[in-house]
Amino acid sequence: MSEVDIDLIIGGPQGGGIDSAAQIIIRSFSIAGYEAYGIREYHSNIKGRHSYFHVRIKDEEVRSLRYPVDILACLDSETPFVHMYDVTKNTIVLFDEDVKGTKLNQVLTLEPETKKHIEEKLQSEGYELTVSGSLEYMKKRGAILVPVSFRSLVNEALGPSKPPARYANTLGASISMALMGLDSEFTMSGIASVFGKKKEVLEDNEKIVKVAYEYISKNNGLKIKKLGPKTVRERYILTGNEAIAIGKVIGGLKLQTYYPITPAADESFFLEGHDYFDELSGGENETLRKSGVVIVQAEDEISAIAMAISGAMTGARTATGTSGPGFSLMAEAIGYAGINEVPVVITLYQRGGPSTGLPTRNSQADLSFAVNAGHGDFPKIVLSSGDVQEGIEDAVKAFNFAEMFQLPVIHILDKNFANSFYVVDGIDYDRMKIKRWKLPEKQEGEFERFKFTEDGISPMGFFGKNIMWLTGDEHNEIGHITEDPETRDAMMVKRMGKLEIAKKMIPLEDQAILFGDKDADVTIVSWGSNKGIILDVMDKLKQEGKKVNFLYIRMMVPFPTDFVTNILKNSKMIIDVENNYTGQLAMLIKQNCAININKYLLKYNGRHPTEDEVYDGIKKLIDGKSNRVVMTNGA
Amino acid sequence: MEHNYRTDLWVDWCPGCGDFGILSAIQQSLAEIDKNPENYVMVSGIGCSAKTPHYVNVSGIHTLHGRGIPFATGIKLANPNLTVILDGGDGDILSIGAGHFVAAGRRNVDMTIIIHNNGVYGLTKGQASPTMPRGLKTKGLQRPNIYDSLNPVAVALSVGYTFVARAFAFDIKNTKDILVKAIKHKGTAVVDLLQPCPTYNDINTKEWYEKRIYYLDKDPTWDPIVRKADEEEVEKKYLQGIQKSLEWEEKIPLGIFYQNEFVPSYEERINNNIPTYFTDPPATSKICDGNGLPLARMDKIFSDRLIRK
Ligand SMILES: Cc1ncc(C[n+]2csc(CCOP(=O)(O)OP(=O)(O)O)c2C)c(N)n1
Ligand code: SF4
Ligand SMILES: [Mg+2]
Repeated sequence: MSEVDIDLIIGGPQGGGIDSAAQIIIRSFSIAGYEAYGIREYHSNIKGRHSYFHVRIKDEEVRSLRYPVDILACLDSETPFVHMYDVTKNTIVLFDEDVKGTKLNQVLTLEPETKKHIEEKLQSEGYELTVSGSLEYMKKRGAILVPVSFRSLVNEALGPSKPPARYANTLGASISMALMGLDSEFTMSGIASVFGKKKEVLEDNEKIVKVAYEYISKNNGLKIKKLGPKTVRERYILTGNEAIAIGKVIGGLKLQTYYPITPAADESFFLEGHDYFDELSGGENETLRKSGVVIVQAEDEISAIAMAISGAMTGARTATGTSGPGFSLMAEAIGYAGINEVPVVITLYQRGGPSTGLPTRNSQADLSFAVNAGHGDFPKIVLSSGDVQEGIEDAVKAFNFAEMFQLPVIHILDKNFANSFYVVDGIDYDRMKIKRWKLPEKQEGEFERFKFTEDGISPMGFFGKNIMWLTGDEHNEIGHITEDPETRDAMMVKRMGKLEIAKKMIPLEDQAILFGDKDADVTIVSWGSNKGIILDVMDKLKQEGKKVNFLYIRMMVPFPTDFVTNILKNSKMIIDVENNYTGQLAMLIKQNCAININKYLLKYNGRHPTEDEVYDGIKKLIDGKSNRVVMTNGA
Repeated sequence: MEHNYRTDLWVDWCPGCGDFGILSAIQQSLAEIDKNPENYVMVSGIGCSAKTPHYVNVSGIHTLHGRGIPFATGIKLANPNLTVILDGGDGDILSIGAGHFVAAGRRNVDMTIIIHNNGVYGLTKGQASPTMPRGLKTKGLQRPNIYDSLNPVAVALSVGYTFVARAFAFDIKNTKDILVKAIKHKGTAVVDLLQPCPTYNDINTKEWYEKRIYYLDKDPTWDPIVRKADEEEVEKKYLQGIQKSLEWEEKIPLGIFYQNEFVPSYEERINNNIPTYFTDPPATSKICDGNGLPLARMDKIFSDRLIRK
């Protein structure tokens, strides 16, 4: 059990520095030696609408977030309204005294539907429709209110000329960390690592930290914990987007194409900032050489996937990244990569659909589409990752599998993964080995790119090395068009046969993992970024004496049919946990294993699922009160 | 031995199709330029015209309808040492792929785009393509065309192409000469290739064209080339090209409308950011050592994400 276990939400307007606040908090705690994990929630809007950062701090690995929170830091007048349900007994609510009188109706950034729910709640409980009213409501739930005058504290730190709104983020973050008992030296280091490059900005922010800590020490007794010293070590702080970018570069990425879309574009944006660098020369003595990655912002996603495919046929490890709307546009080309046996990687970050849907919110509703994307029968690999460590390694494996089996690989992730902050130690390069496979030899004359071979995989060819033809039409071994029925049959068998080869060659733990005892009363099945939450919930249930295990599926195509069937055929109760409406993983299991799952814990409001609601939901399903529970947490 | 630029496949176009002329001109221009055949890649979209790469004995990639430009771009960016030539239909490039056509003008990747301009969608049986004028009723149409046509040369000039020319499929010698210049041009070259489709376009026939075409370079004062990198010169040559492009119907000019090699290619722009790009291009760059251990390392590249006290 972790001695320290604190959940914090810090909320304010989009564009008001919530991102920096998130960075400050995560960095300060990880510098101090704690484990931290957090997610950003935000609207599809640049400035004004409500955004917040939910983070949990522990002294052991953090795998999930929890409601109610221990600290709610409100940087504006909207936050106390929208998060008033997220508090409980002893939650510390820090708020700006100066906006106490703000009426609900004056919060113009609130969507009318949200306003209506809040209005009904406050009215029915007899509270006034002001920030004060919402604070009183939280107080009744047991929260401890900590008033702070943002204006006077910023004034005290920097004088009257500086706008308080600009420093609300650092102030809110620092006060929260002071309340959590984090030594100010770590907060100062966190601040320095965020603002280090801009001297003046850094100095101002340091003054804010000082004032914040003084303010809290004057209000004795508020500290929820005095954090003890930890082993301080250097670590990396990465978002999911960044982790994938890093995995790709380590895995040999040389050409990445993209068209901007949330929540995928941050990956390419990060790469653009790291496109020319030093790397090992690979020679006898470990000298360094300069190298680079070409990042192309294409005119649309069709162009992005087309460039990636042809770049791969020319010999570069290429990838593209997108989310639902862009992936929809790529479908035709993915089939092209399939029939032409092209090793290309497509990183798919799911967000709420259909159509533009919830463009900045979480979802796992593109699984069926990813599995079936493209017309006609052709092989592809669809693999997913559950956390940052897996994400980095899988980015390398995606390239390896693409090259080994000569097919498109869809690496399916989601917004929760993309926008989470993770703290990682470093990289074990032995786990990140690059597998080069059937690379082309320079060859004179006609080359049979699509040759039928003993092992089922044709020799690879690259433009510039071999004279060869590719076509989206059915083709012969040379790559010229043919509609000859026998050749068609043989080509289909060769291409589809690679899925069986892949299934045999890819280690089982890359396909699916069973956590917990084989013998269990309840088996949870799930995938992707739910992994950590379910592991936490499983621990809790085990402590209560429940026999639960967790079948975590990582590879959706080819599907680990035998392994999954063997586990599930004897399960007494199977619960499918997913962030979609239809239970798409359960459908895939049914399709592959002919096993019906009839208990579902689902979420599709776009907000990150949390430990408490997964726990409650599973209990409800175990108790038999319901067969379908929908999770609704999150503002 | 001299490389044979023909493959031995049966060419499956209709008898009398202008594509035959274009194919010969391409084969002759590649022979004339005489590079290592491995260094050419022919790209195409989908359509009658898109069969071309299969008939040329260099690497060929027959892609998706409208997507020839991005496929060609990916090849060139992965390996800038290759010579990339794209054959597109007028529907392919100017309708379904029009967005790519505009973007490619802004990129100026060093490659050649040949538009097989036959006024129709050949392979889908003769519907009007973007270059067919309004009011025309070719034999494949149920009713006269109610779209206005676009002018490929003017569009190409307006979106930034640095080499814009027009040729006629049945003047193979002249087409070959223009293709050689287009292929040698540094930057994206566009050639509007007037291509009779005897099967579906019974209006813009070989004879129709032969009555109207004339050669710009027959006029000794015609100089389409930007001679120095100054704004006035560029503007003069550009406006002259645009003006010439407006001639159609009575007299149809063939030849180079505009050429400017002072615009940096997209590859040069990349190389500005990544100075190893030309010397160690993506397609041939080493990515691991003999044991498969990656060369790119976290601490060397992403140290800005390292948090220390
Ligand atoms: C996405 C898509 N839509 C439609 C088609 C059907 N199609 C095949 S060729 C073609 C038109 C070809 O016309 P053009 O590009 O002018 O080439 P041409 O045959 O005239 O050389 C169409 C619409 C297709 N292959 N793909
Ligand atoms: S339909 Fe027209 S363009 Fe197509 S092959 Fe026949 S003549 Fe040529
Ligand atoms: Mg056409």
